[in-house]
Amino acid sequence: MVVLAAAVLAGVLLIVVLATGWAGSGNTGVTTIDGNAGAVLYTAGHRPLAPEFTGTTLTGSTLSFSSYRGKVVVLNFWGSWCVPCREEASILAAVAAKYQSSGVSFLGVDVRDTTAGALAFAHSFHVTYPSVSDQSSAITLDFTAKVPIAATPTTLVVDRTGHIAGAVFGAVTYPELTAILAKVA
Amino acid sequence: MTDVRAPETDPFDAAAERDDQPRPGPSSPGAAFGLADWLKWLWRQLTSMRIALILLFLLALASVPGSMLPQQGGNPAGVQQYYTSHPALAPWLNRLGLFNVFAAPWFAAIYLLLFASLVGCVVPRTFRLAGSARTLPPRAPRNLARLPRSAEYTTALPPREAVEVAARVLSGRGFRLRRPDDEDWVSAEKGYLREAGNLLFHLALLGVLVSVALGGLFGYKADRLLVQGQGFADTVSALDEWHPGRFVTAADLGPFTIKLNRFDASYVASGQQRGQPSAFDARVTYTEQPGGPARTFDLDVNRPLSVDGAKVYLIGHGYAPQFTVTDGRGHVVYSQATPFVAGASGNFLSEGVVKVPDAQPEQLGFTGVFVPTAVNVGGTLESVFPAADNPVVSLIAYAGNLGEDSGPSQSVYQLDTTAMHRLTTSPQVLAPGQSLKLPDGRGRITFTGYVPWVSLAITHDPGQLPALICGIAALGGLLLSFTIRRRRIFVRARTGPSPGRGTTVQVGGLARTDASGGFEAEFAGLAAELKSAHEQAAPAPSAPPTQRAESAPPAQSAESAPPAQPAESAPPTQPAPPTKPAQQQPAEHRHEGE
Amino acid sequence: MPVNVALGHVSNAFLIAALVIYSLSVVAFAGDFAFGRPRRAAEAARGQQAQDHAAALAPVGAASAAGGPAPAGPGVPATPGPATTGGEPADGAGSMPELEVPALRAIREAGRWVVAAVALAAVGAAAHTTAVITRGLAVHRAPWGNMYEFVTALTCVAAIFFLFALIRYRAWTLGVFVMGAVVVTLGLAETLIYTAPGDLVPALQSYWLDIHVTAMTLATGIFFVSAVLGFVYLWVDRYTRRVAAGRAAPGNGIVRRLPGIEQLDRLTYRTIVFGFPVWTFGVIAGAIWADQAWGRYWGWDPVETWAFITWVLYAAFLHARATAGWRGRRAHYVQLLGFVSLIFNILVVQVFIAGMHSYAGVG
Repeated sequence: MVVLAAAVLAGVLLIVVLATGWAGSGNTGVTTIDGNAGAVLYTAGHRPLAPEFTGTTLTGSTLSFSSYRGKVVVLNFWGSWCVPCREEASILAAVAAKYQSSGVSFLGVDVRDTTAGALAFAHSFHVTYPSVSDQSSAITLDFTAKVPIAATPTTLVVDRTGHIAGAVFGAVTYPELTAILAKVA
Repeated sequence: MTDVRAPETDPFDAAAERDDQPRPGPSSPGAAFGLADWLKWLWRQLTSMRIALILLFLLALASVPGSMLPQQGGNPAGVQQYYTSHPALAPWLNRLGLFNVFAAPWFAAIYLLLFASLVGCVVPRTFRLAGSARTLPPRAPRNLARLPRSAEYTTALPPREAVEVAARVLSGRGFRLRRPDDEDWVSAEKGYLREAGNLLFHLALLGVLVSVALGGLFGYKADRLLVQGQGFADTVSALDEWHPGRFVTAADLGPFTIKLNRFDASYVASGQQRGQPSAFDARVTYTEQPGGPARTFDLDVNRPLSVDGAKVYLIGHGYAPQFTVTDGRGHVVYSQATPFVAGASGNFLSEGVVKVPDAQPEQLGFTGVFVPTAVNVGGTLESVFPAADNPVVSLIAYAGNLGEDSGPSQSVYQLDTTAMHRLTTSPQVLAPGQSLKLPDGRGRITFTGYVPWVSLAITHDPGQLPALICGIAALGGLLLSFTIRRRRIFVRARTGPSPGRGTTVQVGGLARTDASGGFEAEFAGLAAELKSAHEQAAPAPSAPPTQRAESAPPAQSAESAPPAQPAESAPPTQPAPPTKPAQQQPAEHRHEGE
Repeated sequence: MPVNVALGHVSNAFLIAALVIYSLSVVAFAGDFAFGRPRRAAEAARGQQAQDHAAALAPVGAASAAGGPAPAGPGVPATPGPATTGGEPADGAGSMPELEVPALRAIREAGRWVVAAVALAAVGAAAHTTAVITRGLAVHRAPWGNMYEFVTALTCVAAIFFLFALIRYRAWTLGVFVMGAVVVTLGLAETLIYTAPGDLVPALQSYWLDIHVTAMTLATGIFFVSAVLGFVYLWVDRYTRRVAAGRAAPGNGIVRRLPGIEQLDRLTYRTIVFGFPVWTFGVIAGAIWADQAWGRYWGWDPVETWAFITWVLYAAFLHARATAGWRGRRAHYVQLLGFVSLIFNILVVQVFIAGMHSYAGVG
């Protein structure tokens, strides 16, 4: 009786271990930068297609993401309420200035924010590139279907064909962002 | 019979209660006690009733601190409070896992052991039940008068037929029978479903545990606060709280969006219940996926919204006063509804914080109190009714460094004033539309109005339905095991009380378990039924034999003329019976005559 | 809908009436002890005790002390003498188990005091039920939405349940204890925690409230009876042991009239067997309601936790009865501990310990 019970228990454990291993199996086509799981590159052929979106900028005009096709776009999800966003703002501004002539565009997605607060933020940090308002996180939802956006800030790098080539989950650092742009641009 | 009887002497499944007593352990003399023997001994201990009982007590006892101390899962603020008020004791309680009792390893050990004990007891019993359902009832004891319930009467039928009649009655009542070919008795047994119900109950409890585990591994809980007019899409970065199960990823969230169109709360205006909420109503618009059709729904406290496999619940609500802040440079740097949270003082007196990190020249911060129905009581503002009949806001202004430019994220409901200096000497009270002008040309803050907010819980629990089904199955098993009794009825027939004077039928019965009572009544009814069946099968004049003996012999011999021999072997249902007493009468008569 | 104040007053009036009538029935039950027919009950009880004892000890096939005259008989201290029904052979070989004497006749035969006590208890229960129903009509919802209503309802359940048990098991000698406890509880409720009829908070306006709290009310009322019986059992057991040890004089008038210890135990057991599935169902219904209202079917809220503790303790009682060394006195300690945890849940946890359940509406 005891032997039978032990055998059954061992069998169940084996099945559970196998099942969880299968469920948690990793995916290929993604490489990390400097071993940091929060900053990744998608190898060509494994790049998810960035969804199209249209929104209202902070200044009130309409902007369509498709108009950026053919350029490399650094898409930064941010909010004026978000502390790491304030940390990375100056880094983004510096990289934006550096790559301006190389045809890299910067576009912000302002998440869960208000126009007044966002404009004040942009003014404080001298953000010159436009941002689209995503009050309801609908744009974020569309992108989360392609890459695992779990928090704000998140920065994605979209290549010229409109595919997501790199991502930084969390505040960007200068080395990470430039490393991605070097591969993609 | 009641359960009080000692199991070792129980004629039912004596083996079933074997594990009641702990087996002799390794200290007993005899052969060397190897590892296998140790394991066997441990296993028998674990699956004994005594250990199960102790584990049940432990389970109850272990749950007590989980209800007395604040728990991390349901009351994290309370845990924090406890740390503040008991700084020396709290870390020790935490090490013992007392702030998260129901997830603590020692609590898990108790219920896992209990379930191991349960499984170890239930599985063998299932096999035993299957086995006993196939074997026949035991032989009828010799002296049925010694059984807890017995009855005795005489009938005119010969023993063999009497037993036949009895067998038919019992079989008609659903008993399983055992009848030998050559002896005059029948054993009947009924009520196997009782043990099946017992096993179903215990297995269903196991099912509940598995379902809870399923929910914990594959389910998730999330929270989101929505101000009236706001909407959100169901993605992790849009949620305020996100607690996924072990195997849950962000991709498991359904792609729905919800917008809060309107929220209304009404309160009792007068009487003893004044101030109690009488109705809540949150009108939302939702889409199941991006671009899908928009639907409306009235979310209520007892009416969640089911969407994309998740359920959205209305948990709480409050007030979000609206502020506009103009900084020293004349720019509008803040303009939004700010959720304030109701405190413990009641009537929705709420507290909140306004942070303006991009005000120039210096960052600004305000702590505020929102009073829905404000009344000045001796200098302090109090709220006397939860509805916003007379809303005011009281603000204290600060300037300096909010501490948000770097470092860890802060709570949106708390203001860290360590690097700030106060701008106003005392709290300033504003009515809707009023402004507070900040000193030194730093700008002003205007209280423009208020809107309500709701807090939603989004949950997914794949173990919910299985748990419910198992719970109902457990209840069903419980009812079966309590209402059905396993019982045995024996019937013996022998000629007697003296030879030639009919047949004495003895009926005996016992019930193994009789939780709901009623075996006495059942037995009495069965005995009466058997008796009347025997009377019906016996000759029509059911007067006692002695009376017959006194009646005119010629009549008897006339009746005895028809087939005598076949009558004896004819089945009792045939009209042959009338001859039988005639058959016997003369013998008795002669007997008495001698 | 506004509260019907007039009906509320009617409800109160009926409740006071029930209280008075119950008190009178308690007096009558006590009167039976003092002045009722002594011998019959004692003899029958003793006879029953001997029977139960023999039956409990005698396994099948072993010699039995009660072997001679057929021990068959229902667990009924009915009229003494040979138990016969019609149609038996005059030679008297063997006997048939007695089909029970009809209840009303048994009560009548037990004496005037018992008749009066049972009648008063029945009338009181009718008034009590009317009070509960009119309260429900007054507030347009199930009348167990706060502590006061809950206590009045559960004592009503206890009284009705006890009346049924009394009739079925002929247990009127327990009337003074059970009805006495009902009187005390109801009196305390009236004086200490009375709440005027009112509406419920919206968090409670759900039909699952009716199902969950109804089940809990029913179960608590039933466990109320089993708790009183448990106390009586322990008292009789202690007295018996003291007599056996020579430290108390035998022949205590009250104990002699009570059912035998085996039957007390059996009656208590059967009461709990009735109440345990109801409690289980109440917990399940509560989980369904919690899921609807709070988004999770079990969250270890303090009230939920103590309902679970109560369930575990009553389950322990059921297990104890099947465990050697735990039957009898110890099992009843467990059962009473379960009831204490139930009361603790109602009086302390719901009122003082913060949780989502705190709607008791007291104070």
